[in-house]
Parts: sequence; C-alpha cells; structure tokens
Amino acid sequence: MSSNDRTLPKGVTAADFDKAMREIRAIVGAEHVLVDEEPLAPYNKIMMPVADAQHAPSAAVMPDGVEEIQRIVKVANTYRIPVYPVSTGKNIGYGSAAPVQRGQIVLDLRRMNRILDVDAELCTALVEPGVTYQQLYDYLQENKLPLWFSCPAPSAIAGPVGNMVDRGVGYTPYGEHFMFSCGMEVVLADGEVLRTGMGAMENSNTWQVFKWGYGPTLDGIFTQSNYGIVTKMGMWLMPAPPDFRPFCIQYPNETDITKIVDALRPLRIAMVIPNAVVIAHTLWEAPCTPVKRADYFTGPGAIPDDAVLKIQADHGIGAWNVYAGLYGTKETNDANWKIIEAVAAGTGGTIITEEASRGSQALQYRFDLMKGKPNLGEFGLYNWRGGGGSVWFAPVSQAKGTETLKQMKMAKEILGKYGFDYVGEFIVGWRDMHHVIDLLYDRSDETQTKNAYACYDELLHTFANEGYGMYRASTAFAEKVAATYGPVKRDVEKRLKKALDPNNIIAPGRCGISL
Amino acid sequence: MGANRLACLVVGAGAMLGAAGVAAGQWRDGAQVYEKVCAHCHEANVGPVLKGRQLPQVYIERVVRHGNRAMPSFRPSEIDDTALAEVAQLIGASAPAVKE
Ligand SMILES: Cc1cc2nc3c(=O)[nH]c(=O)nc-3n(C[C@H](O)[C@H](O)[C@H](O)COP(=O)(O)OP(=O)(O)OC[C@H]3O[C@@H](n4cnc5c(N)ncnc54)[C@H](O)[C@@H]3O)c2cc1C
Repeated sequence: MSSNDRTLPKGVTAADFDKAMREIRAIVGAEHVLVDEEPLAPYNKIMMPVADAQHAPSAAVMPDGVEEIQRIVKVANTYRIPVYPVSTGKNIGYGSAAPVQRGQIVLDLRRMNRILDVDAELCTALVEPGVTYQQLYDYLQENKLPLWFSCPAPSAIAGPVGNMVDRGVGYTPYGEHFMFSCGMEVVLADGEVLRTGMGAMENSNTWQVFKWGYGPTLDGIFTQSNYGIVTKMGMWLMPAPPDFRPFCIQYPNETDITKIVDALRPLRIAMVIPNAVVIAHTLWEAPCTPVKRADYFTGPGAIPDDAVLKIQADHGIGAWNVYAGLYGTKETNDANWKIIEAVAAGTGGTIITEEASRGSQALQYRFDLMKGKPNLGEFGLYNWRGGGGSVWFAPVSQAKGTETLKQMKMAKEILGKYGFDYVGEFIVGWRDMHHVIDLLYDRSDETQTKNAYACYDELLHTFANEGYGMYRASTAFAEKVAATYGPVKRDVEKRLKKALDPNNIIAPGRCGISL
Repeated sequence: MGANRLACLVVGAGAMLGAAGVAAGQWRDGAQVYEKVCAHCHEANVGPVLKGRQLPQVYIERVVRHGNRAMPSFRPSEIDDTALAEVAQLIGASAPAVKE
C-alpha cells in the first residue's frame, strides 16, 4: 500500500502516526495492534447506508487492563490521535465496531472479559467491557446460580457494558439497562481513573448496591457520549422467578394498536406486567417465522398491504403481535393471568401461551429473550430483503394509542415513498415507547443504499418536526440527530467535552459531540 | 442458609476467575466456538447450514473475519486465529447435519 492510500486520523502526519503506533505497541504488545488493511477488515464491516470508507479505522488496538488504557490515552493526547472505544463491538445497524469518523483508532476492549464478581445474595455483578451476555449466562448456569439478566436481541455476541453505554434495552423486568446498572469505572481522557457512585470511596462495599453516592450523579454523562472509557460496570441481576409465564397476544388489524396500547399501559405502569411490552408488526414477525418476501412480492417498491394480509393469513401472524410475561409465584401469576385474559378478550386479541407456541421460531426467540436466554433469532430480519443493509430508526413516543398509530402511519408513508417496507415494533418502556424500525435494504445495490440514506434523513426530520426525538441513532446520523435536540444541550455537551477531554481524543463525533 | 451457601460458592468462583484472569478471547476448542457463536444462526434456520458442505477452510476463515452481507464480522479479539482455524476445519470436515 502506498502511503497515499493509508487511512490516517484527520490532521495527523504519517510520521507522527507511526511514532504513536510504536509507542502503543510497546504498551499492549505488537500482536495486539493492527494497522494493515486486511487485518482491519472486521473493524470496517457496516450495515449503514454510507460508504465503508467513511468509517474506516486507521488502526485497532486491543488493550488488556486499565493501566494499559491509561497509557494509551497519554499517547493519544501527545499525538492528538482519536480513539474509539468498543466493548463487544456489535452495535449492528447503529455502527458495529467501525469508528464514528474515518481514521480513528478503534480501542477494542473485547479482551477485557472478566466477570469480576457475582454476589448471589444481593443479586449484583461487576463485569469488564468485553464480557458477552452468553459468557455471563454460561457462568450463571455453570455455577448453578438462579439469577437472570436482561439482554438485547443480539445477546449471544453482544455484551452488557457496550449495550448499557449506548442505553440499549432488553426484555425482562430489568430491560431498561442503564437504570439497572450500578457503578462504573471510567478512564478519563487525561488518564485518571474515576469510579462513580459509592465506588469513589476507598474500602466501600456498596458500589454495586447504591447508585447515587454523594454529590452530582455522574454515571449518565458516560452514556451516549464520549467523556470517558468505561472499564468496569456494576449491574443488577434478578432472582429467577419461581413461575415465569410469557405470552403473545395477536391482533388482526393494524388499527388495533390504539386499543392495545391503551389497555396495556395501566398494567405496565402498575407493574402487573413488569417487563417491556413489545408490539411487533407482521413484517417483523414474518422474516423471523421465517417467511420469504420473494414468495409474496417481487415488484419494485414497498410490499403492498394485501400481500401483508396474505402473509398474516397463511402463517397465523397477527397484524400486531404483543409480547410480555408474568414473573412471580404460581399464585400471583394465576391471579394476574386472569387480568391478561380479560384484557385480551376485551380488546379482541388471541392469546398464545408458551405451550401453544411450540414450533414457532418467532415466538420461541422472544420467549427466550424474556428470560434473558441469549440467542440470535432476530437476525432472521436480515433474510427479508437480503443484501445486508440495515439502519435502525428509533423515535420515542408516549405510551398512548393515538400516538402510535400516528407514528406508524408517518413512518409507513415515508418508507413507502422510497420503496421500503415498514418493519417495525413498539417497545413499551414504562410510560414511553421506543418505536423501533429496521430500515432494511440491499447494501450491494447502489440505488437502494442511496434511497435508504435519503429515507432515513426524511424520517428523522419529519419526526423531529412533530416533536419526536430519537432514543438512539447510528454513527452515520449522529450529527443530524444531535442537531434535532437544539443548541443549548449541545453547547453544554461541548463545555463538558472541553473540560474533560480538551484535546478531543475520545471518539470525537460520537452522538454529535466534538470540539 | 441456602443463600449463604450460594454466596460462598460465588465468592470462591469470582476470586478464582480474577486470579486466573480467564485467558481473554480464548476458547476451549473450535467446537465451543461453533456452539456458542456460529450455531445461534447456522443451526437455527437463520443463516445457511454450513455443515456437510465441505466448505474450504480459507473461505470460512475469510467470511468470519470480513463478514458477508448480513453476517457480522468477527475480530481476532473475539475469535482468536487458533480457534478460528479449528472451527473452520471442523465445519469443513463435518458430515451433513442430520434432519429429524
Ligand atoms: C437483529 C438486531 C436486533 C437488535 N436488538 C436490540 C435490542 O433488542 N436492544 C438493543 O438495545 N439493541 C439491539 N440491537 C442493537 C445492538 O446490536 C445492541 O444494542 C448491542 O448490544 C450493541 O452492541 P455492543 O453491546 O457490542 O456495544 P458496542 O458496539 O461495544 O458499543 C456501543 C457504543 O457504545 C460505545 N462504547 C462501547 N463500549 C464503551 C466503553 N467501554 N466506553 C465508552 N464507550 C463505549 C461505542 O463507542 C459504541 O458507539 C439489535 C441489533 C440487531 C442487528
């Protein structure tokens, strides 16, 4: 490779870069530093509708330990080289392990994968960033610990730290992952190590049980930001309930979503249903069933409504498919089950129990996720269009029926305009809903890729005009999404960045924050 | 009492893990990689079946590192070269999966 086609960090000379890499090799060992194109390929695999080159790394560094990271950030400060931390690097559809901006060094923390502590009495864990949910699951199983955690759909290959710092969600009662984290250790840009909450106090044994500590609560600023590198995280685990009863309620009409949400919201707020209620559209269920798109529609444009109705009829899929569970004792679940049955009957839904679901791939992976059992069933989504293009559009809405119908119609119309299908679901957090849409397209098709970008852009701005902001966004749209939240917030973020990272070396551009 | 016993067991296990430092990114063998990573898609009707197709080892290794369309890429920090070679060899040499 000639020095001209090298990917270098913005404003850094090849000579300085080489010097910095020599120093970093001395810290982590040469075998844990990658700079050539071929070995860097896994760090440049993206599904977003932009060119790979836009997110190409200049190097990848795989430290093992806090002290190594402290020394790496010193080098990064000297040469003004930005580092992009990833934990398990599986933020797929939001960015994967590729850096937010071209030329950044990926700081790959996957080697730091120790489960440092599990306290079975307090139901807490302390983990490093490279720990995967699968690893944690196996650890709990092997040690016969009756403890559950909440995980996102790509649980087998993703991990709790990376998911939490991006404020991801899961499907057990502990599904709002940041809320159920407790205590962080963070390497700051100047190499100092901060422990948040009670962890700041030497000899404290309450780091994983009391979130707040004394003074301002800092944990939040290390999520969806670039103010530090999280090297340890405490998390709460839930005791496995004596009785777990997951269920699905299917509804025949798209407009049913209004009454579904209004009937279920009170149960969710009162915690009769303790986990996030997922309301999945037919086209989310179909690819995971699995149903082939091509068997129903091969024309250009979005799949027409009558084909969607035919899929519903042929495969016993609802227009909406509601997933939730009861977690308790047999007695409490028997009592609450009557409430669920009454709600389903009153709203015209059909309940499918776990026993009745046997043989359905789509239901099985959902029910597994609701008890924190890792799987990758949801990757079935990617067989719908094929071609490996995916970008998540995820606006927040109120948990009110009319709001959801309005959002769904807006999304369907814009997606349709660009020839894409509405593959969406609502996740009832508590009083909010994450409206998650997978914009699926064929990344090997240039026109579809261009359309996917334009479509996302229009979705983003149309929703923002209506007052709907994103809960999370891909690195390709970080700047645009940040802009929808107004100038004051961004100014404060910048001031914090300046104070904590004056040389702008940790993931500049992540969530739109940069100096 | 039951809870106390559990706690002892966990503290013990935790301490052991800490000391041993769990060789990072390392796997017991290729079969374990297949079971814990690949099988979640390739034996679950999500990704294509790989066993019994005599896929060349270099091809498998390349697809794992580069990803392929919707298949994510896997970095050496996740699956080290030795484990990758083992799993690729195992898949390449495998008999077709038995359909029940
Ligand atoms: C089919 C499919 C289904 C999905 N379903 C869900 C779902 O149900 N719920 C959900 O939440 N997500 C979902 N996702 C999105 C995503 O895959 C998960 O959120 C996943 O957990 C994120 O990957 P990760 O944990 O490897 O994080 P990483 O990729 O490691 O990191 C995520 C982000 O956080 C930053 N970061 C990571 N580690 C650190 C650190 N130590 N210090 C500072 N910053 C850091 C990174 O810079 C990156 O931007 C889904 C994706 C797919 C493809």
